[in-house]
Amino acid sequence: MTDLAIVARGLRKHYGLVIAVDGIDLAVPRGTIYALLGPNGAGKTTTINMLTTLASPTAGEAAVCGYDVVRQADRVRACIGVTFQDIVLDSDLTGREVLDIHGRLYRQPAALRRQRIAELVDLVQLGEAIDRRVRTYSGGMKRRLELARGLMTDPQVLFLDEPTQGLDPQNRVGIWSYIRALNRERGLTLLLTTHYMDEAEALASRVGIVDRGRLVAEGAPGDLVATLGADVIRVRGSGNQAHFVSQVAALPFVARVETDVEAAMVLVYVDSGSRRLVEVVGLAGGNGFVVEDVTVARPSLGDVFLHHTGRALRD
Amino acid sequence: MDATLVIWNKHMTKFLRSTEELLGLMLQSVLWVVLFGVGMRGMIGEVDGSDYMSYILPGIIALSALGGAVGGGMVLLDERLRGILKEYLAAPIPRLSILLGSATSTATKALIQALIMLVVGVLMGARLAPNPFGWLASLLLLAVFAVGFSGMALAVAAVSRSIAGYHGMIFLFNLPLLFASNALYPLAVLPGWMLTIVLLNPTTYLIDAVRGLAFGAPFTLPLPLSVAVVALFAVACTWLALSVFRRSIRG
Ligand SMILES: Nc1ncnc2c1ncn2[C@@H]1O[C@H](COP(=O)(O)OP(=O)(O)OP(=O)(O)O)[C@@H](O)[C@H]1O
Ligand SMILES: [Mg+2]
Repeated sequence: MTDLAIVARGLRKHYGLVIAVDGIDLAVPRGTIYALLGPNGAGKTTTINMLTTLASPTAGEAAVCGYDVVRQADRVRACIGVTFQDIVLDSDLTGREVLDIHGRLYRQPAALRRQRIAELVDLVQLGEAIDRRVRTYSGGMKRRLELARGLMTDPQVLFLDEPTQGLDPQNRVGIWSYIRALNRERGLTLLLTTHYMDEAEALASRVGIVDRGRLVAEGAPGDLVATLGADVIRVRGSGNQAHFVSQVAALPFVARVETDVEAAMVLVYVDSGSRRLVEVVGLAGGNGFVVEDVTVARPSLGDVFLHHTGRALRD
Repeated sequence: MDATLVIWNKHMTKFLRSTEELLGLMLQSVLWVVLFGVGMRGMIGEVDGSDYMSYILPGIIALSALGGAVGGGMVLLDERLRGILKEYLAAPIPRLSILLGSATSTATKALIQALIMLVVGVLMGARLAPNPFGWLASLLLLAVFAVGFSGMALAVAAVSRSIAGYHGMIFLFNLPLLFASNALYPLAVLPGWMLTIVLLNPTTYLIDAVRGLAFGAPFTLPLPLSVAVVALFAVACTWLALSVFRRSIRG
């Protein structure tokens, strides 16, 4: 087997006239946490569906654990774990039954199932609640139970579709720490999707930015951000934005200027934000552009998204 | 095979746990027999030498088997609409076992409901034939029929977009299957055009066979023909469910 856990070449999926995934290439080494970051409708779930054999590609090919997702679908299924975007649990069953039934579907012997359940209840800290009906669980407990179910069969690759959607900050950080621990201690390969840039930044060793079915940028989060410049000065204001932009762009220390039209924001990438701030803002006065708000920060993955797509990624 | 059993088992666990569904099922059976059977008995007395309760019980049982099948189809529909099907689809199990698990649990529920109805009917005064082999043969035939109904319900469940849509479609089958049959009146009293429709309805054959086998009424249709029609119905519906289901899971 190769050292790539997930490979995709020219993966496409059409639904009638809708092009959900428009040719995606992936190469995810084993032991990586890979995040697909993109807005609603970008094609993240469709990509996961093809990689987990739930949807068949219109064109292109993919392999997971070294097996082709179409021709060797059962092999792929046996080596992966999945959690879906929406919570998919039988509310009339107890947490233990959910895990046990899952194990039985994968033909795990009873002793192994008992042992796995004990370990996983410990990992995701469900405690006594494991013997309660799922209908009595909170959203966070349900997500943790789903994570445990995805891990029940000790997969080599785990797919998580928006694992922290709808969770409060505390539960989010909790899920993050399980994900990191699994990756660190067991070398598990994870592919997760998210539209939170902080999540991608906090977890992933590699990020793929998806927009309209295409991978528009890929790399380590730090590298992606570093290509933009050291700091970004965000200037929000009203008036003649175009003139301001052209003036700022002419400054020698400005690496790049971008505009976020919706938010009436100009983003100025510079070598050092605190040193250049005064000069940049100074250009606004008297040119018909009135500054309302200025912030200086390190660029984020959100800025990377804006840079590649011309649109802002909003949560 | 293993996966079929796991899914059957899970569906039965959920079924036995849903007190409302169970209670509704029991009450429905009792209400049918009591309201319909007892009420009509006062008016009609005897048909073809059987008392009316014994006469209509097979029809009511067939109807309740349909009720059970509708409930079973709901499970597949519910799992489909809520995405639980995806857990099965992502698992290394034969796609067929997902349908078979649902079909067997559905048929089991239909059979349970039919049995309850039979017991209630007998308690309410229906007279069984003295031959227990006839009872057994009837139950077997009912089971085969239940498989057919289940197939129909599952086929509808595999394509419905909502619970309301499912019930609408099922209602469309439900009504003619009962009323365009010999469930409530003997074939002899029907006008020619209606007789044709009734003879196209597989329920007619089931009911005639069960009447003869379990309640000792004279057969108005040849028994081998009835058995063949019921078996064919089950095979055809299972095939239908299979092809519809295959198409519905193609992502
Ligand atoms: N079964 C389907 N039939 C038709 N169109 C679909 C289907 N599934 C997805 N699409 C379309 O494909 C596109 C990509 O959808 P997808 O669910 O993959 O996006 P996503 O990145 O997961 O979005 P989100 O963040 O909202 O979950 C969307 O335009 C969606 O409407
Ligand atoms: Mg999605």
